[in-house]
Amino acid sequence: MEAETRAPTHFGSPLRTSAFRLALAYCALFTIGVSVLLGTIYLLTETALSNEVDHVIGIELDALADEYDREGLAGVTAELTRLNETWGRARAIYLLVDRRLQKLAGNIEKWPFGSEVPRSTWFEFTVESGRESGMEFHPVRARMLTLPEGYLLVGTEVSQRRVFQDRFRAATLWGIGGTALLGALMGFWLSQRLLARVRTVSGECERILAGDLSRRLPVSGASDEFDSLASAVNRVLARLDRQTGVLRATFDSAAHDLRGPLFRLRGRLEELIRDPATAEEARAALDRALQDIDSLQRTLAVLLQIAHAESGAPLAESAPVALGDLASEICALYEPAARDQGLTLECDVEPAGVIGNRQLLTQLLVNLIENGLRHVGRGGAIRVTVRNVGRTARLEVADNGPGIPPEDRERALRPFVQLSTKSPGGSGLGLSLVAAIARLHHARLALEDNAPGLRVVVEFESR
Amino acid sequence: MRLLLIEDDEEAAHFILKGLRESGYTVDHAADGRDGLFRATETDYDVIITDRMLPHLDGLTIVQLLRQQGRTTPVLVLSALGTVDDRVKGLRAGGDDYLTKPFAFAELLARVEALLRRKSGPQATTVLRVADLELDLLGRRATRGGKELDLTAREFTLLEYLVRRAGQVVTRTMLLEGVWDLQFDPQTNLVDVHISRLRQAVDKGFEKPLIHTVRGAGYVVRGD
Repeated sequence: MEAETRAPTHFGSPLRTSAFRLALAYCALFTIGVSVLLGTIYLLTETALSNEVDHVIGIELDALADEYDREGLAGVTAELTRLNETWGRARAIYLLVDRRLQKLAGNIEKWPFGSEVPRSTWFEFTVESGRESGMEFHPVRARMLTLPEGYLLVGTEVSQRRVFQDRFRAATLWGIGGTALLGALMGFWLSQRLLARVRTVSGECERILAGDLSRRLPVSGASDEFDSLASAVNRVLARLDRQTGVLRATFDSAAHDLRGPLFRLRGRLEELIRDPATAEEARAALDRALQDIDSLQRTLAVLLQIAHAESGAPLAESAPVALGDLASEICALYEPAARDQGLTLECDVEPAGVIGNRQLLTQLLVNLIENGLRHVGRGGAIRVTVRNVGRTARLEVADNGPGIPPEDRERALRPFVQLSTKSPGGSGLGLSLVAAIARLHHARLALEDNAPGLRVVVEFESR
Repeated sequence: MRLLLIEDDEEAAHFILKGLRESGYTVDHAADGRDGLFRATETDYDVIITDRMLPHLDGLTIVQLLRQQGRTTPVLVLSALGTVDDRVKGLRAGGDDYLTKPFAFAELLARVEALLRRKSGPQATTVLRVADLELDLLGRRATRGGKELDLTAREFTLLEYLVRRAGQVVTRTMLLEGVWDLQFDPQTNLVDVHISRLRQAVDKGFEKPLIHTVRGAGYVVRGD
């Protein structure tokens, strides 16, 4: 027995499986996708919001400029005061100052740029608002209009926009983080699931390796890729199981069947040594010993053929064989022997070609005919027919002997099973060799009831 | 007649050598493949008997090398590998005959004799004669004492096989292989049955039988 390299299929953590790595890669890709999406939404929304703020400021400033054109500075002041006192636009900021930057009207206290007048028209600044708890700073976006007597500032407190920005940013980060976490969890779960199935399969394989060839890999019934793999492996196992079964039975019973003649042989030789006989008696005993050896040799040869045929090696020396001609030749070979036994051996063949090994096919025919010769009594008949049936060549060897009861038919094909003790002489290997040869030729073998007798049918794929 | 036996199993070699020498042959012995090949190339043997599995150089390689050297010495391969495939391989390598161990010594002797005969070359003849038996190979007809014998085609082939080897022992296995192309021994005594039928046709009614049984070996056709 070769030293079994026991490389136990042990699995590390699920984090090291290919399923998990794949899930991580997907997760990263997905996170990037989500980031780009959220980022784009953020930018677009932000722009839209800014534009709206600017638009509103623009409209209001235009309205105030019109007021100035109509009523002058006093009109603008009055308007600002009115806006200030009524529920005007939410978060609106107004400031009207004179040329010396002193406040004339508005809702903020002082000119936000110190003593300077900014050059641009749009700007952002912060205003402070005193509360009891302390100062608050409000971001403001504003536009300035330069009047002959002063400057008008119209803006919007945009702290809400800031809040929006912050929230959106937080949401984006949470979203990305969540996605990543979910992906990782999903990957972990997936790899756990795959790992569990692989573990089951490999555990089952370990048990099979340990010698229990009757076990099979579990098939979940989901018809997924695992199932198709498992059923393929199961088919391999079934075949191995059958072959080892046949071989084991062959060798078990070989040991049994070879021991019989060996024991007789040994007995004869020991007797000769113990009890010196006359030369003639000694010669007779040695003659019988040689016959024992011949019978051992035949059994051994057939065993080897079975083992060879069962090994599943492809058919050596395959060639077209005229099955009909072969059958009638073998019939002609056996016809005189059958007649001597008081049997009739008939042959009725059609020309039929099969692909096969001529010697093995000859052996198949010989074994079937010899099986008949052994089991059919005087006055019986054996009939060999070869017919083309559809796409198959059908060989039948039928007799009118005792036959084989249906429940024993499968057993009869196994090595060393002698169903009847009445007709000695057979090694019990004949039909099992027939079965092995049939299998090797991918032929269908059936034992049928010939009513009365046995009919062995072998159907070959026609050439 | 000088033979070479290449066999590493001492006891087997001893019994084969003894038997062959008792039968009147001069036999050399080589106990491994290299020595065997050396002797086979040095001396012109009439027949070489070689085991298949040998130390240093296996029997089939020896045959192949000899054939490459253009030597046509008949080779009988002995082997414990007995399946049909092994036999085919053995013959394909250039062996002239293949005998599976264990075998009866008579079987080996008969085959060696057959190979020696073959070496003397087949006679290009159309008529075979033994005593008053005459076989017309073209017409596939046999007569004895001028009287035509009633033979089936297969019986004629069997008789031809025996007559071609007249005076030489032919074993049952040789007949199964040579006449019926059966590479295995069936359980039934087929050959005996066919020979007894052939005897009915050939020897019945004649004073002197031509087909003789050789105990423990096989049959021989002899005229005197």
